[in-house]
Amino acid sequence: MKGVLENSMLQEKILWQRVEPGLEVFVLPKQGYNKKYATYSANFGSIDSHFIVEGENEELIVPDGVAHFLEHKLFEEEGGNVFERFARLGASSNAFTNFNNTSYLFSCTDHFTECLEILLDFVQSPYFTRESVEKEKGIIEQEIRMYEDSPQWRVFFNLLTALYREHPVKKDIAGTAESIRQIDEEVLYKCYRTFYHPSNMAVFVVGNVEPERVFSQVAENVGRRGYRRLGEIKRIYAAEPKPPARDCVVQELVVSQPILNLGFKEEEVGFDGERLFRREALTGLVLDCVFGSSSRLYNALYEEGLIDDEFEAAHVAEKDYGHTLIGGETKDPDRLYQRLMEGIRQAQAEGVSAEVLAHHQRKLMGEFLKSFNSLEFIANNFPAYHFKGINFFGYLETVRGLTLEEVNERLRTHFAAGNHARSVILPKEKPGA
Amino acid sequence: MSDLQRFALLGGMNLFVHRTNKFKTILAQLVFHRALRREDVTATALFPAVLQRGSAGFPTRQLLAYRLEELYGSELSAEVVKKGERLLVSFCVELVNDRYLPGEKGLLARCLEILSEVVARPVTEGQAFRLEYVSQEKEQHEKVIRGLVNDKAAYALERCLQEMCAAEPFGVFKYGTLAELATLEPENLYGFYRRFLAESPVDLHICGEVDALEVKELAERIFSFPRNGAAEIPVTLVRKQDGEVRYVREEMDVNQGKLVLGFRTGIKYGDDNYFPLLMYNGILGGFPHSKLFLNVREKASLAYYAYSRLEKHKGLMVVSSGIEAGNYGRALEIINRQVESIAAGEVSDEEFDNTWQGLRNHLLVEDDHQELVVNRAIDGELAGCLEDTDGLLARLAAVKPDDVVRVARDVKLDTVYFLAGKEGGRG
Repeated sequence: MKGVLENSMLQEKILWQRVEPGLEVFVLPKQGYNKKYATYSANFGSIDSHFIVEGENEELIVPDGVAHFLEHKLFEEEGGNVFERFARLGASSNAFTNFNNTSYLFSCTDHFTECLEILLDFVQSPYFTRESVEKEKGIIEQEIRMYEDSPQWRVFFNLLTALYREHPVKKDIAGTAESIRQIDEEVLYKCYRTFYHPSNMAVFVVGNVEPERVFSQVAENVGRRGYRRLGEIKRIYAAEPKPPARDCVVQELVVSQPILNLGFKEEEVGFDGERLFRREALTGLVLDCVFGSSSRLYNALYEEGLIDDEFEAAHVAEKDYGHTLIGGETKDPDRLYQRLMEGIRQAQAEGVSAEVLAHHQRKLMGEFLKSFNSLEFIANNFPAYHFKGINFFGYLETVRGLTLEEVNERLRTHFAAGNHARSVILPKEKPGA
Repeated sequence: MSDLQRFALLGGMNLFVHRTNKFKTILAQLVFHRALRREDVTATALFPAVLQRGSAGFPTRQLLAYRLEELYGSELSAEVVKKGERLLVSFCVELVNDRYLPGEKGLLARCLEILSEVVARPVTEGQAFRLEYVSQEKEQHEKVIRGLVNDKAAYALERCLQEMCAAEPFGVFKYGTLAELATLEPENLYGFYRRFLAESPVDLHICGEVDALEVKELAERIFSFPRNGAAEIPVTLVRKQDGEVRYVREEMDVNQGKLVLGFRTGIKYGDDNYFPLLMYNGILGGFPHSKLFLNVREKASLAYYAYSRLEKHKGLMVVSSGIEAGNYGRALEIINRQVESIAAGEVSDEEFDNTWQGLRNHLLVEDDHQELVVNRAIDGELAGCLEDTDGLLARLAAVKPDDVVRVARDVKLDTVYFLAGKEGGRG
C-alpha cells in the first residue's frame, strides 16, 4: 500500500508506504534544506501502563515511567551507546517520550542512509542488563528532580491531578523516584515486545532525500528481522468520572510570583480520527477568539497587570481524554481566576461574530504555514496525529471549514459548569531580587 | 545556502539581505547596538516593551495585535541580547511570504511599515510616553527582573557570570535592576529613547525569498526616522585569568543543586584561535559524545545534563550540570579532571573527528533556520569576520589536534558557583 498526501496551499507533499509487517513510512521531500531529519516512533507513551496483548491472557500493569525509562535504555547497546555511532557521522540523535508516544530521532546533513540504518537498527535491538538498568536510575532520578524544581512543569501536572481522578495522564511522564526503582530489565523487555512491533510504529523522514530509496531501505531492514504478526494491543484505562477530581491544587515553590493554571475537562471522549481533529481545531479557534492576544479579555487582563505576554490558552485532544489549559504567571491567582470565569461568561453571552471568526481563521492558517519552516515541527507532529487516524496536512482545510454555528456551540458547551479545576503555585519564600 | 547582499542605506543604516527560497516566511530584524553599561541597561531593556503597547497609528496593544493577525498572523517581537559588552535591541517581524497566499501582494511592505511605526512613532503625551503604558510596563519589567529565579539553571548561570565579571561591564544583568527601574518615568524614558534611536548604530536584516533591490527601496522609504548612529561602543574587554579560583555557594530550597563553572579562555570570535577553541569546547562538553556527558552522566550517573558552552564575544566558557547537592565534590572533581585531560593532550582521534563532524553539522544546519542565518551574520559583523558557510567550514577543517591542546592551556577556571538545596529541604 502506498500513496501521496498533497496540499496545494502548503506546496508540500508527503509520500507514504506501508511496509511489512505493517510499518507506516512517510517521506516529505524538502529541497534546499541541508538538514535531514528522521523519527521512528512507537505508539507507546506514559499513559500505557495497563494492557493486554491479543492471544495472551495476562493483564499487565507496569510501573509508572516505564515508557520513558525504555526510551533512555534503547540508546545503550553492547559495548557502547548509540550516540557515538551517530557522532561519527556528524549526526545528532535524541528521543522524547510524552503521554502517548515515544519518538527516536536523528538530524544530519551527510551520510543520511547510514544514519537511517543506525536509527532502524538501534530501535529494533533492545539490550538491557541488570547493571545498565540500575545505572540509569541515578540519571533519571536527576531528570525527575530537575522537573520538580520547574514551576511551569509542576503547575501543569498539579492541574492534571486536579482534573483527573483515574486516568494515567495525571501521572508524571518520567514516573517518580520511587516508581522507577521498581523497573527492571524484565519489565522493559515485556513492554518492548508489545509496543515496539512495527505495526505499532511509524517512520517519518523530512529533508532533501529520495522517497523511494527510503521506502526500500526501511522495507529491507525491517523485513529481515522475521517479525510475527502482532495481535491487537488492548490498552486499559480505568473509567474516568466526568467531574474533576478536585477543585484546586496548591503548591509552594521558590518562585518570584504565583502561577495559575485553569483547566476545563472534556466530557465527550472515546473517538479519534477526523472528528477528533475537527473538534481540536474548533476548540483552538474558540480559545484564540476568547483568550488570544487581540481579544478584549486578554488586553483587559494585561492592563490590569494580572497576566504577562506568556499567558496562553491551549487545547489537548486525545482519544480517551481532552482538556483546555489557560493561564500563566500572575500577581493574584484568585483575582485572575475570577476574571477569567467572568470573561468566559461574557464571551458566551455575546458570541463570536462572522467577522471575528474569519479573522482568526486567517491568522491560524498563517501560523500553520509559518510552522512548516521547521522540519522538527512537521516530523514531531505528523506521526502523533497519524496514530490518532488524522492527516495533519488537513489542518488548513479543517480550519477553513469551521462554521460560525459550531464555534458558538463549542464556546457554550466546552466551558460548562462543573468541568473545571485550578492549579496554583505560590512563592515559598521571598527570593532576592 | 543563503546569498547575502549588503547595502549602506541613507541615514547610516546597514541593510543585509539574506536571499533564500527555502522558507515560507520572511524574517525582518531591526538591530540597534548599544554599549553595555550599568547606568542605562534598565532603560534599554524597558522601552521596547513600552513601544509594543501601541503606536500613533495603532494606539493600543489590542489594535496592534489585531492588525498583525489580519496580516496572516504576522508576529512582532522585541528582544534584548548581550553579545560581549554590547547590548543588542532587536525588533523583529515574521510574516508569511505572500507567494504562498493566493491573491495577496505587498505583505512585506505592510509589515515593515508596522515595524517602523512601532519603533519610531510611539504614543506620546507631550515630550513623554503615555503614563499608563510606562507604569504598566514597569510593573511587568519588575516581574521579569525578579523572575530570573524561576528557572534555576538559567539563574545559576547568570549568577556565576555576575560573580565572575562583577568588576566588568559583562557582569551587568541585561534586564537591569529594580533600583534603576524605580527612577524611570514617562519623561526621562522618552528622552532616553529619542537619544537611543538617534545615536545607536542600526542594522536591518531581511531573510527570505525576496528581491534584494526591491527590499532596499522599501527599507529606504519606510525606515526614514532621523538617526546619526554616532554612539560609540567600546571594544569588549577579553582578559586571561591569573588569580585564585573563587568559590561561591548559595542556598535555596530546591530539589536539585546547580553547579556552574566559569572559565576564561582569552579567545573571542574572530581570533585565529577561535576555531580551535570551538573544537576544544565540543570535545569537552558540546555533544553527547563529549567528555562531560560521558564521564559525569554516563559513567558516574551523577547528572541528567552536563555541558559546556562558549560566550564567544567575551572569551568565556561555562560548564553547567544539575546534581544532587551531596555530590558536589565528586562532580567538581570529575569536571576538573576532564578539563585537565585535554590540556594534557588526552584527545583521541575519535573524539576529535566526532567533534569536527558534529560542528560541521551545526554550521550547515544553521542555514536552515532564518533566525540563525541572521544571528550568524550579526556575530560575524561584530567580530569583523563575516563569512559564509563554506568559509566557516574551511576554518573548522583547518584545526589540528595540536591546536586544541594549545588553546586548552589558555582555558583557566575563574569561578565555581553552586546553587545548593537547603539541608532537609527536599519534600
